[in-house]
Amino acid sequence: MKLQLTLNGSQSEIDLLSPAPHARFRFDGEVERQAQVEIPEPGVYSILIDGRSYDARVEEQPEALVVVIDGYRFEIVARDPRRFSRSGAGRSGEGRQTVVAPMPGKIVRVLVSPGQEVAVNQGILVVEAMKMQNEMKAARAGKVVAISAREGSVVKAGEVLAVIE
Amino acid sequence: MFRKVLIANRGEIAVRVMRTCREMGITSVAVYSDADRTSLHVRMADEAEHVGPSPSAESYLRIDRIVDAAKKHGAEAIHPGYGFLSENADFAAACEASGIVFIGPSAASIRAMGSKTAARRIAIAAGTPVVPGTDHGVTLAGARDFAARHRYPILLKAVAGGGGKGMRRVDREADLEGALRDASSEAERSFNNSEVYVEKLIERPRHIEIQLFGDRHGNMIHLGERECSIQRRHQKVIEECPSPLVALHPEMRHAMGEAAIKAARAAGYYNAGTVEFLADADRNFYFLEMNTRLQVEHPVTELVTGLDLVRLQLEVAAGGRLPLTQDEVAWTGSAIECRIYAEDPYNNFLPFPGKLTRLDRPLGPGIRLDGCVYTGWTVPMEYDPLLAKLAVWAATREQATDRMLRALHEYDVGGIRTNIGFFRQILEDPEFRAANLHTGFIDDFFQRNTPPAPPAGLKAVAALAAALHARTEAKIPEPQAAPNRWLQAGRSDLLR
Repeated sequence: MKLQLTLNGSQSEIDLLSPAPHARFRFDGEVERQAQVEIPEPGVYSILIDGRSYDARVEEQPEALVVVIDGYRFEIVARDPRRFSRSGAGRSGEGRQTVVAPMPGKIVRVLVSPGQEVAVNQGILVVEAMKMQNEMKAARAGKVVAISAREGSVVKAGEVLAVIE
Repeated sequence: MFRKVLIANRGEIAVRVMRTCREMGITSVAVYSDADRTSLHVRMADEAEHVGPSPSAESYLRIDRIVDAAKKHGAEAIHPGYGFLSENADFAAACEASGIVFIGPSAASIRAMGSKTAARRIAIAAGTPVVPGTDHGVTLAGARDFAARHRYPILLKAVAGGGGKGMRRVDREADLEGALRDASSEAERSFNNSEVYVEKLIERPRHIEIQLFGDRHGNMIHLGERECSIQRRHQKVIEECPSPLVALHPEMRHAMGEAAIKAARAAGYYNAGTVEFLADADRNFYFLEMNTRLQVEHPVTELVTGLDLVRLQLEVAAGGRLPLTQDEVAWTGSAIECRIYAEDPYNNFLPFPGKLTRLDRPLGPGIRLDGCVYTGWTVPMEYDPLLAKLAVWAATREQATDRMLRALHEYDVGGIRTNIGFFRQILEDPEFRAANLHTGFIDDFFQRNTPPAPPAGLKAVAALAAALHARTEAKIPEPQAAPNRWLQAGRSDLLR
């Protein structure tokens, strides 16, 4: 089984030649290696390679498979060969940008008004969630075309608070 | 002693208080909001009472409902924990008026120490050193005059302020006029009050605080200091006892302890309380404020003194005398505490609520864990995202640091992000190990460090685990055209 992966943003390939418990694999075209694998509990992989012991914990998140080993976190997605780069997706230098609530919270302050020109990183509004205030900033320069947030109002995650063009 | 105590709090501190209640044979009553029905403090309590919807203003801050719950359950006393109503003089007064013992100081002491300016006046009158400042709004001439007497650098602060708004550091005369104008207009915008006062700026201060204990018979002792210089967003995240600075200069403990006792006595204080000081490079210390409650970080004092502060609180509240004198307080070894939060330290400490899918807790020699989480529990987004306090004890600071690293290594929380990895990075930092601590430590740390990169060989192991998992369990997700809102929250430049 050969898998093309994007691993913490960089491209990798793993070829699983035989499954657990006596796994054989080839990573990024390196030499074939052996691993003795046990699964002591669901999602936990005890892996012995060349006498070294690793405890890998796998979490299924909707947007990525997350593997945690020794406190280090790896976000893994299947690589889509049809695209060569996703790095610029949705974040081009022009066009409409929406400011959305990252989590449910309360609008503490609105710092701009419709029609106002804003600079990159300029504060747009302040949202309070979990007792902390976060200033939402403009990702790039533009003109505020709409502000749907009102000071004191409670917003849901993903709600559009402002639109900048 | 009380037979039944209501704990007017939630989370780890409610659990902490219940543990001592159980050891003392006291029945505990939990209160809870809608969001907390399945929280550990409700599950652990002997009795429980619903006090309202999830927002704390409608539940944990409702004096009437909490006092009613205590009456309904026949609790003789209320432990307020920290936060919520713990420093609310009206709550203490409402308890007293209902014939319920408030486990803490009198309403009058809370009132006296509750306002920063009133507390400062009490401290000055008691002869406790304070940071030189004007305490009232100044004009340019007034600020100039202050700087002439106390020398630069100085700090301009909004009278109505907080959270760093309307605050400016001024290093020389030439910058004063502009800085005052900026601070003043920022204060006006933020607080509708343009008044700005001046304080002498303490460079790279350490936060060192003294734990006090008094009974209602006029006895008051101190239980030594805690150093809490490692802070993020003006909130402590690592605390130690002893303070490494005080350990090198033991006379400071006595001097700070005496100064703290003087200030607290002036407010007629009893039960547990903490006087916070800033200390400068020349080991001068200045009164900052008094916290009229049990502190979050009390476990490090407990580990080093061998005392149970909650037990002392209950005994003193029940009218007992302090069971020990100042001379009988002994400090042994070194303790460190890390506050484990559901947050992303590498993204401006953004809170990270969610469901815990996995939990492995550190165990073994010298470990103490005060927590409120279990596998399957969802961290609510309505409250402070503190999951647990991990504390360790060892013979020396160096050994305690190594032990904390070991404990953090064993600690695994799945499903959400935490600051566990960040603490590992800090505890390995040479500046931390050399005890070069100050309240701006974390800001400096981020200047010097980037998020830890995994060792080279680990990538292959991660890929192998993913492949094994994908083979039997779940498909590896495809990249998404539009990242979901958590990725947005976690990565977008909007929050930077």
